This record gives sequence, structure tokens and C-alpha cells, in this order.
Amino acid sequence: MTSATELPAAAPADHETGTTGLGTSPLRTDALPKALGIYPYAADLWAEGLLWGAVLRSPHPHARIVSVNTAPALAIPGVHAVVTAADLPPGPDGTPDGAPAGTVTADRPVLAAGVVRHHGEPVAAVAADHPDTARLAAASILVEYEVLEPVTDPEAAFHAPPLHPDGNLLRHLPLRTGDPDAVGEIVVEGLYQVGRQDPAPIGAEAGLAVPRPDGGVELHLSSTDPHGDRDRTAACLGIDPDRVRLVVTGVPGASSDREDLSFQVTLALLALRTGRPVKMTLTRAESFQAHTTRHPALLRYRHHADAEGRLVKVEAQILLDGGAYADVSAEALASAVAFSVGPYTCPNVFVDAWAVRTNNPPAGRMRGEGALQTCFAYESQLDQIARQLGVDPVEIRRRNAMATGDPLPTGQAVTCPAPVAALLDALDGAPLPALPLDDPEADWLLPGGPGGAGDPAAVRRGIGYAVGMVHMLGAEGEDEVSTATVRVSGDHATVICAAVDSGQGFATLARQIVQSVLGVSEVYIAPVDSDQSAAGPSARGRHTWVSGGAVERAALMVRHQMLQPIAADFGMSVELLTINDGKITSYDGVLGMPVSEALEGRELWATAQCRPHPTEPLDPETGQGDAFVSIAFCAMRAVVDVDIELGAVRVVDVTVAQDVGRALNPRQIEDRIEGAVAQGVGLALLENLRTEGGVPVNASLTGYRLPTALDTPDVRIAALLEERDVVAPFGAKAVSAVPAVVAPAAVAAAVRAATGLPVGRLPILPEDATVLA
Amino acid sequence: MEHGGNLVNRTIMLPASVDEAVEALAATPGAVPVAGATDLMEAVNAGRLRPAALIGLGRITELRGWRYEDGGTAVLGAGLTHARMDRPDFAALIPALADAARTAGPPQVRNVGTLGGNIATAAPAGDTLPVLAALEATATLARAGAVRDVPVSHLLTGLDPLRPGELLTWVRVPLLHAPQVFLKSSGRSGPARAAASVALVLDPARRGVRCAVGAVAPVPLRPLEAESWVAGCIDWDARGAEGAVLIDPAALVAFGEYVAGACVPEGGAHGEGAGADAARLRRTVAVLARRALGRALK
Repeated sequence: MTSATELPAAAPADHETGTTGLGTSPLRTDALPKALGIYPYAADLWAEGLLWGAVLRSPHPHARIVSVNTAPALAIPGVHAVVTAADLPPGPDGTPDGAPAGTVTADRPVLAAGVVRHHGEPVAAVAADHPDTARLAAASILVEYEVLEPVTDPEAAFHAPPLHPDGNLLRHLPLRTGDPDAVGEIVVEGLYQVGRQDPAPIGAEAGLAVPRPDGGVELHLSSTDPHGDRDRTAACLGIDPDRVRLVVTGVPGASSDREDLSFQVTLALLALRTGRPVKMTLTRAESFQAHTTRHPALLRYRHHADAEGRLVKVEAQILLDGGAYADVSAEALASAVAFSVGPYTCPNVFVDAWAVRTNNPPAGRMRGEGALQTCFAYESQLDQIARQLGVDPVEIRRRNAMATGDPLPTGQAVTCPAPVAALLDALDGAPLPALPLDDPEADWLLPGGPGGAGDPAAVRRGIGYAVGMVHMLGAEGEDEVSTATVRVSGDHATVICAAVDSGQGFATLARQIVQSVLGVSEVYIAPVDSDQSAAGPSARGRHTWVSGGAVERAALMVRHQMLQPIAADFGMSVELLTINDGKITSYDGVLGMPVSEALEGRELWATAQCRPHPTEPLDPETGQGDAFVSIAFCAMRAVVDVDIELGAVRVVDVTVAQDVGRALNPRQIEDRIEGAVAQGVGLALLENLRTEGGVPVNASLTGYRLPTALDTPDVRIAALLEERDVVAPFGAKAVSAVPAVVAPAAVAAAVRAATGLPVGRLPILPEDATVLA
Repeated sequence: MEHGGNLVNRTIMLPASVDEAVEALAATPGAVPVAGATDLMEAVNAGRLRPAALIGLGRITELRGWRYEDGGTAVLGAGLTHARMDRPDFAALIPALADAARTAGPPQVRNVGTLGGNIATAAPAGDTLPVLAALEATATLARAGAVRDVPVSHLLTGLDPLRPGELLTWVRVPLLHAPQVFLKSSGRSGPARAAASVALVLDPARRGVRCAVGAVAPVPLRPLEAESWVAGCIDWDARGAEGAVLIDPAALVAFGEYVAGACVPEGGAHGEGAGADAARLRRTVAVLARRALGRALK
């Protein structure tokens, strides 16, 4: 959005109503440039006299580095610098340790020191005057490895020799509540597996570092957490945070974290070392090695239910493969444990969950981390109960549905709206897509696609339901805060807030908020950099809440400043004035002044913060505690056609009912739901970064199958339920994560209904959907 | 015709005719002919291939179309794109090739990827290859001053490979005027590499069925015994009659099994996983072959 603000200067008004502000649907300002291919991404950055960076990565998932000889690279003409762990500040004992860093635990070196723990781990980096030279030079560095046995099975990690001084257990979180001896009339068990989904961002990692005269460095990249990244980069480089400036630019949209720390620090180090601007763009293959993936999971569940299908006891063991480094595994695990039963009430819950370190690719943040994996498991379990009791799958969910005020298994009461039953009702009433038999004229797209091998005689239709939940904002005591400044100068307003619009639409939302509060139509969103006050990372639906809240407060303060003199003139209090359609009116109708007149020649500004109520860590023995600020819910119905002879699955339709609190921009919400459903369908049927002995085998867009338009279903919104969350700014809930969490479970349920097969793993491969004659 | 080399001193030639191209090929040892470059550039970008020189074939317009010969043969230019082969006029001539071209990839790839490129790359999952094998197509290879014809299958297996200085120019395909089917299984609705594919053509004049299985082996496989067996099960004389049943449904099923048995070896030699994989692949091929023949005889 940085440069995109230049295009349509002000957001076009809502086409239907001609109004702006909250509840309307103005177009994103970067939508048009991105669709036209003229949006400047980070890979398009340029500086006079720049050098090109390239990284040498480990070909082994686990090895000791015996020696690194950079001389061959330095001997190549055009090479300006080669850096290794030895060029970073040394560790506590005075030897190079690769300047380990991390968002939660600082365990991941910028450049490997002494040992590599995953395939593709950066070992050295080069700056040269041509990208080909840089790559050739990186490849010429001689690294002697002593190859070690990789630990690739997460179950083996418990007993394997420690892969890191911190050990292999990233976190163990038990949850104990209720009577362990409770038994139900029926018991169902299941073992569930979730594969490794890659965020596969449309723009691969790219950035530009420019050295500063004060010995610092300026980084231009698509960071989603500019202040956190600035501080961590400075710490790794051993310089003061004030001397690192991070300018956010060309964000291509992200459903995970963007450029990782190793990328940023290496880029900065090369610029500092050479005194020249350095640009680095990763190839698609490198991109797969550089960013974190979703946590692969193994889940074992046992549900006890009474004769009506009401849950009596849930027992579960959950194992998340965190890969080589900790990243946000501890947080993902908390989410998995707290939502291990799903949006249902159950008095007795006993869970043990572990996140372990392996030599597989590191896992990290990705829409609904932890919550997605358990949603697939608990929803599969509920379908099993429904089948055993002969109860309709919607009815079994209704009987167990959580309501506002009910407790989570962690003991926390769900005080935000929990309209689970209402979501199910909305789905129940939604029309089903036509069967091909009803509409023989329609061009029926068979599983296998156009020109595929599909045979109508072998196609079975299945309908599946799923409900899920995710938490919003940081959990377990994380301090959540954002700051925003609103400045009004004459007829236009500017919002200064370091919240990165990573595709969630924050820039559009901030504009709508200011338009609503101040009645000013022209609102500019300032480009984001780390000189502004911190707003925190773009993740977990934070910015709609904390940054949206901060923008609203700042705008309200400006509104007060604007209205005070007018109110004083008329001898009334500010509260009696309203702003509507760009006009200030008083309660008695005496005053009717355009906002532009009130603002003429005036410069007003205010800065405000938003900090939601604090949370607390989960108890390490019992998993109890008020760990979450708020929770969002979603119910989904998937309709699939399965060619039961070939196992080809086509998702025909996904109908969504979602708890949004308040729809601040309905079109943007629908777009976000569509995107999240596509990502969920991808995980359900296609996406899996497979590894053999820790080495990814399909790290390309040919091998890693992303859903195309033909694989993506029609997405229909049955309801956006607006039950306002009283503690949230505007009463709104984040919308992007929860549909991605629920879609895989809904597709799996539908495939189960079509085939009668158990379907215990994601993605669902053709062999999992083939019915043997 | 030559353009100055770029940073790494590469030469790119753009001949306007087949003669110019073969001359360039003869004059520049190590030069690589390139058409759509959908496979070649991937290899270059990945660093697997650093050609000394490139001969771009895009300006040789004669190779981008087709002509007829002896009334019964279509001579297809090696530069025919997948997108062109998918058009209705071509699909009426050689339906199976059109079907294969349609599923060969996303539109961006089909717009530039060519028939000749598909043969030259000889990828196991190349979609047009089983169709060419079933049609018993022959390729014309041109070199400075000489031309020879080679069965496409001999090119693919390496029995009679492309020799230095030779350029693939034309592909000869019989016009059979009978149903043809290409089916592929990839497990998804969007364009994807085939896990297995089957091409099947009927040759009513000779009362023959010809079939090839793609993607299960390095080259397309022909189940010759299954072909001749099933040709005897078909009631050829009933063709064209209203509501005629041309084959016993049980024979369709048996044909599928026969083809799968011939083309996918029993697994198990490499452990249990391989055995299960082989069993799945056999099932898939059996289903594809059965459906292909069923559609051809409908």
C-alpha cells in the first residue's frame, strides 16, 4: 500500500450506496495496481550502484560444519563480500554462534555456526555486482560437512540425542479438567495426520538494504512486523536499534510471516560490510527453503459420549512437528490444547500435547496454527459419533454447541459472543447446489477437471459439515498494543500507523474508520516504517482490533478538538453534535455545517493507543488459565463430487456461516473468506511439502500443488452473523483465519460422506478416496 | 541473423526457415534448438543446462501448421502449439491429440509449448506422447542435406535417437476417421502432471485397436496383446447401427485389467510401500483403459 496510495488517490465510494465509512465496501487501493501488474513489489526495488546478495544453503538436514573456506568465492572477480557466522557478533562464550534469534525463543542462527539443523539452512552469503556472479560465488564456497543422522520422525525426537542445546522438546502442555474416570455410553477413537502446508506466497522473499552514514542500515522489505524485525535485526548485528530503520514496501499479501530474520540480517550485514546497497531476491526453490511452514501434526483422540451424543469426556494426545527451530511452536501448541474439543462443551477433558524439534523444515505462523490441526481431528470424531448413533451431523453439533458464557476446557469462560448454534442454523437453511441430474444442460465439471477422465457413473456426491474456532490477538499474557496518529489538515486526513496491510485490508479499514468518525472523505494512509510508533505484527487478526481501535481513538480525539469550538459557540456540549454525510449537525437541527467548513485552515492531530485486556499463561500442570482475549467461530458446509474409482475429488461448493461481530467492510470480508477457503481446500486435497530424510522433494510450484481456479469451489456466504463483541473496537472480530481452519475438516467430512471411507489424513490423496470394488 | 552475446557471451540465432535452422545447427556444435522453452528455460534457470548457443524456431512459420499427404496422413509441424492443437478444426482431425493438448498444462504453457518440444523433452508424463505412440506416428528429422523418418517411439526409447545436427521438423500421423480417446488421471481438477494416462484409437479399416499408457514408465507403453485380443471382442460390423452394443461390458473390464497387467509390473520387490503403490497404479490404469475403450465404442 506504500506506493499504491498514488493510484486511486481516495478510495472509490461504495458502488451501491455511494457512501463511505464503516459497513460499506470501498475497494482496496492496491487491488487495481496488483490486478494490472503495475504494483511495485519488493523485488522491483532499485538503488544506484547496488550489489546482489546470494545465500549458500545446507544440502544436508543435519550435519556438523567442519570447515568453511570462502577463498574460492572471494577470488571471483565482482565479488565484494562473503560473510559467515564468524562475521556476526560472537556468542556468550566468545565463539561464533550465528547470532541466534527468534520471535519467542532465540534459537535460530542467522548463519549456521558449527552445525546445520535443516535442509536449506543458510551457511554463508555473498554480495557481488551481478546476481549470477553472486550465485556462482556462493556455490563455490567450500564447506566440509560431517553428515549426521537426521531426526525426521517427530515421535523419535523424544529419545533422540538433542539437536540443539535447548533440547528437542519445545513444549509439553497437559490439560486436565473434570473426572478422569468418567465414561460414556459410546466411545470413538481416531488417529489423525496433518501434512506440511507451505504458505507459498505469491511474491517470493525480496529486499534491499542501504547502508547509512551513521554506521546503521536501512532495510526495505515486506516485513509484517517492522518494529519486532528492526529490534531483532539490530540485536543480531550487535548495533543499537536506532541505527536500523525498516521501511515496509511491496507487501504481496501474506498468510504467514514474511522475510525471515536470517534474510534480513544477512542482507543488512552485506550492506554494512560493503558500504553499498545490496539487493537480494530468492528464487522460488529458495523461497520454499527459507520460510516456515504449517506444523505437521499427529493427533490421537478418544471421545466418550452419552446415548444422545452429548460429549462426556475427551482424551487426546497431540504432537506437533516444530522442525529445526522453536519459532511460534509454543503458541501453536497452546491454541491446539485450548481448542482441542472445539466449539463444544465437555465437562471432562484430558489432553497431552507436545511440540518437538526435528531436522525437518521449521514450522511457524500460518493462519490458525494449532487450531487447524485439532479442528480436523475433533470434527472427524464428531462425525464418527453421529454415524454410530445414527444422528444427523448438524444435530450432533447442535447438541454439543458452546454458547456465550460456557467454559473452554482451560477454565476460561467464553465471554465474547459464541453463536455456534446460530451458525449451524444458518447453514441448515442454505440451499444446496443443483445435482447434475436436475440440470443436465449445465456443463457439469467432473472430478478430474475439464478433459479429465471423470465418468458420471462413478461419481458420488458427499456433503460434510464442520465448525471451528480460533483465538484473536496474542495469547498467554503477551502484551498487545498498537499506536496510531490521525492528522487532519484542511480537507484531508492522514493516518500514521505502523500496522502492515498484509492483504487483510487494514489500510482500507483505517480509511473507513476515519471517514466514519470525522466525516472527511479524503484519507491518506502513510507508508509504514519503523520510525513510527510500534503497532506490532500482522497476525492473529490483531490489526482490525488493536490498530483499528487505536485509529478510532485518535480520530475521536481529533473529532473532539474539531467540534469543541463549534459547540462552545452554540453553548452546547460536544456530545450533542453528530457528523453525518460530511456535515455537522446539532441534536436540535439548528446547526448544519459542512465538515470542510469546520476544518478550514485548521491543523488537528492526536495520537492514541489501544491495549486489550491482559491474558495469563496456561498452567503448565493443568492447562488452566484465561489465555485468550477473544475467539471467532465459523461453520461450513462442503459439497464434494468424488470419482470413487480414481479417487479424484472436486469440491463443488462451500457454504460459510461466520461470526464476524460486526461487518466493517462486507466485500472485504467475503474476499477474505474466499481466500481462506481456497487455502483450506488446498490443504484438504493438494498441498503437502513432502520430505524424504528431512529433504523437501517437491519444493517448486510444479511439485507443490496449489489450488487453481478449477480446484477452488464456489464459495457462498450463508450468513455473516453480527453479534457485537462488546470489548472489541467496533464489536468486530477478525475474519481471515477461521475459514482456513474449518475448510479442511468440512471437505474431509464431505469426502467421508461420499465414499464411506474413514479419511484420517490431510491432504486427502486419491488412494484415500478410492473405493475398492 | 546473429545477435551479439549477452553477459555470458551466449549466441541466439533466429532462422526463418528449416534450411537456415539446420545450417545454423551444423555450423554451431552445441547449439540447442528452442521453441516454446517451457521445459528448456526451467532447466536453464535451475542451472542444469547452460547452452552454448540457442536456435530459436519461433520464426519458422511453416512448422507452426500442418498439411495433408496421400489423403490419409496429416503432417504436423513440430512448432504446433498445444493451444493450436486444441482448436476445433484440429480436434476434428485427431481428437486424442487435441484432448491431450487441452490437458497439458495451464493456458500460459499451452500457448507456447509445442508438439516437437514435447517429443524432444520426452518427459515420462508428456501428454501428447502416448497419443503419438498409439497412432504409430513417425518423425521427420532434418539435417544439412539429408532427411530421414523415424518412428516417434524409436526416438523416445533411444532405439534410434536424434543425431547431432538433426532437427525435428514434422510428425506424420495417420488420419483414421474413427473415435479416439485420451484420458489422464492426476488427482486434481486443475492442470497437473499425469499420474497415469491412456490413449486409445480405433482403426476400423484394419479392425484394430491401438492403445498406449503414459506416465507409468519412462516412455509410453503399448499393451500389444491386449490390443489384439480386444479387437477380436468388438462387433465391428455393428458400428454405426442405432443402439448397437459393440462390446460385452465384461470384456471392457477385462481389457482394463489386461492393459494394467501389461504396463504396470507387480510391485513388492522394493518393499511393501512399493507394492501398494504399484497396486494403486494398476487400478488407475485399469480404470482409465476401461473407460477409454468404453467411450471410443459408445
